[in-house]
Amino acid sequence: MRAETVRTIARREYLARVTTKGFWIATVTLPLLMAAMVFLPSLVLLKAKATHRMAVVDETGELGAALVEALAPEPGPRREARDLEALGERQTEEQTARFVVELVAPGEPEAQRAALDARVLAGEIDSWIRLGAGQLAGGKVEYRAASVSNFLTQKRLEGALSRVVSRARLEGAGLDAARVSELTRATELDTVRVSERGSRAEGGMAGFFLAYFLFFLLYMVVAIYGQQVLNGVLEEKTTRVVEVLLATVRPVELMLGKLAGIGLVGLTQLGIWLATAVALTAPGVVGAMAWLPEGKMPQVAPGVVVHFLLLFLLGYFFFATLYAAIGAASNNLQEAQQFAGVVVIFLVAPVLLMMPVINDPDSVLAVVVSLIPPFTPLLMMLRIAVKMPPAWQVALGYLLSGGFTLLLVWLCARIYRVGILMHGKKPSLAELWRWLRYA
Amino acid sequence: MEPTLELDAVRKTFGDFVAVDSVSFAVPKGSLFGLLGPNGAGKTTTIRMVMDILAPDRGEVRLFGRPRSRGDLRRIGYLPEERGLYRRMTVADQLVFLGELQGVPRREAGRRAEHWLERLELGAWAKAKVEALSKGMQQKIQIAGTLLHEPDLLILDEPFSGLDPINQGVLKEVLSELRGRGTTILFSTHIMEHAEKLCDRICLISGGRVVLEGELAALKRARGGNVYRLFADGSLDGLESVPGVTQVVRKGDGEARLLLGPEADPAAVLAALVDRTRVREYRSEEPDLETLFIQAVRDAS
Repeated sequence: MRAETVRTIARREYLARVTTKGFWIATVTLPLLMAAMVFLPSLVLLKAKATHRMAVVDETGELGAALVEALAPEPGPRREARDLEALGERQTEEQTARFVVELVAPGEPEAQRAALDARVLAGEIDSWIRLGAGQLAGGKVEYRAASVSNFLTQKRLEGALSRVVSRARLEGAGLDAARVSELTRATELDTVRVSERGSRAEGGMAGFFLAYFLFFLLYMVVAIYGQQVLNGVLEEKTTRVVEVLLATVRPVELMLGKLAGIGLVGLTQLGIWLATAVALTAPGVVGAMAWLPEGKMPQVAPGVVVHFLLLFLLGYFFFATLYAAIGAASNNLQEAQQFAGVVVIFLVAPVLLMMPVINDPDSVLAVVVSLIPPFTPLLMMLRIAVKMPPAWQVALGYLLSGGFTLLLVWLCARIYRVGILMHGKKPSLAELWRWLRYA
Repeated sequence: MEPTLELDAVRKTFGDFVAVDSVSFAVPKGSLFGLLGPNGAGKTTTIRMVMDILAPDRGEVRLFGRPRSRGDLRRIGYLPEERGLYRRMTVADQLVFLGELQGVPRREAGRRAEHWLERLELGAWAKAKVEALSKGMQQKIQIAGTLLHEPDLLILDEPFSGLDPINQGVLKEVLSELRGRGTTILFSTHIMEHAEKLCDRICLISGGRVVLEGELAALKRARGGNVYRLFADGSLDGLESVPGVTQVVRKGDGEARLLLGPEADPAAVLAALVDRTRVREYRSEEPDLETLFIQAVRDAS
């Protein structure tokens, strides 16, 4: 076997794909989507951060002033603002408009309602509320605005109102203001992910989303590039290019060159995607997004990226080799799809096993299935993303899956060699077995 | 001198069907060799066995005076019967790729590709994608692809099929030119006229067996005595029944070639012909390939 020949073939396969528009459209679209997911919410929220002008008709004479204070922006760094009602509200505050409250002395109810509604319609104020004299006893507050869909703003107003009212009630019950403030201190969850590389703050769902994202990305690229190998082999076979090539090239050189070239295309695309993901989720970038609570974004660590790329290569070679043999043994795409349907089971089974593995990545089931060679690339990736498995399990996974794939390459090369020049009827399993043994 | 290519009793069967049966021939160095025969005679199977694409069941293929090796295959330029190019690749890239596979450095392959595209009148298409080209053009590109590594032996399976007369002419010129530079050429065809003027040696196969093999001129000389050309104004029907005539090859309006049996007396045949039709001309001539072929097939069966 000549390395030079394999390289020439791989180079052609690579350039033939990387120079197409479709490749770059796909390559650029995913990072754009990722960037959109990170940046768009902040753009939307920036717009929502405009001031919200609200008139408050205060019949109680005390709640109005307290509400103005409660709605004022929290002083000091965010992380120290612990005494808010709840984490959710803190987020709400960060993400909603700044309130500009205008206290209005109570007047004749009907006339005042008409006057304030008119001001809302004229756009002078965004909303108005009336705090009735009986508010402390309970009852709803009427929120009147031209738009009632800004639920984050409303939620925050609601939170501030409840707090103001409950404090007033407690004070009414005889507690002093300092005691009330102490008693109404909020409790919030601060989620910290524990891993061997040290703990870091992370949203509770973040780890799940990262694992989910990496799993399906891997699934997608292995399936797509495996299919590309199938199509490429079939194209060479049906256009009969292969007969020209085989005059100077050995079948195994052709097959390996094709696998290497298309695999490199996959690595190129993944490299661009993952580099974008690492950059977008880097602490610096996340920190710059004022709206993103620190540590809520799943971070794509470079170590995970390395595992991802290695597992991509393993999974790719496993499926692409099978697809190459299938392409060579078939006469057309329909025939090939029938064979490929069987192979796809190895790709779909890990999807079915995904939830149990995510829920308990160290269970016996998860360990066993992630060490079954065809499943290792996808399921080991899942486990690594959720919680780094013991090093020996990762190493064993690579070893078993790598060895199995090498064996498969050897077997498939034998089928490929015979099948690629065989035209006519679809081979039976017995014939495929004969091809394997044909020296 | 060692022949460039030698087949010794090569046999290939597909199931019960014997495609090639103990075929032997030798292609001397520097010759232009025609592998002739009707459709399905076994020409392509024979060539595929030479190229190690099919393994013979029996017999041996010798290249350059020794048993065939992979390395020797790289000294061959091969045009398969089924044409194939990457459809979405440009013509120039495709040729450079083929050249590189044959061991030519990329830059040099580019230079030679340019030369051959010019020579085959395709210079303007170098940057075009293959799928934009006509079948004839694709065929010329593929022929160019067989020449980039300056092979010692050129094996072309049906190189003329699909080419218009002008391009057939261009190809004949190129083949003569290459032969002048010492390249050994073997090509197959089922159209005898293509081999008639080009080849110095031929091998005729039919039904998987060699029916005639050797130097073309010598073959013609050896068989010349039995062929007569007849021009007549009347009907040429039923001449097969004339005693001594074994076969009639109709050539067109009022013209036929008559093959006479080895014992036949040409004068007696003429006398019989005059009785049946109005003979204008009757003369002995060198047989053309088609006549030789028909004669050989008849003798073989």
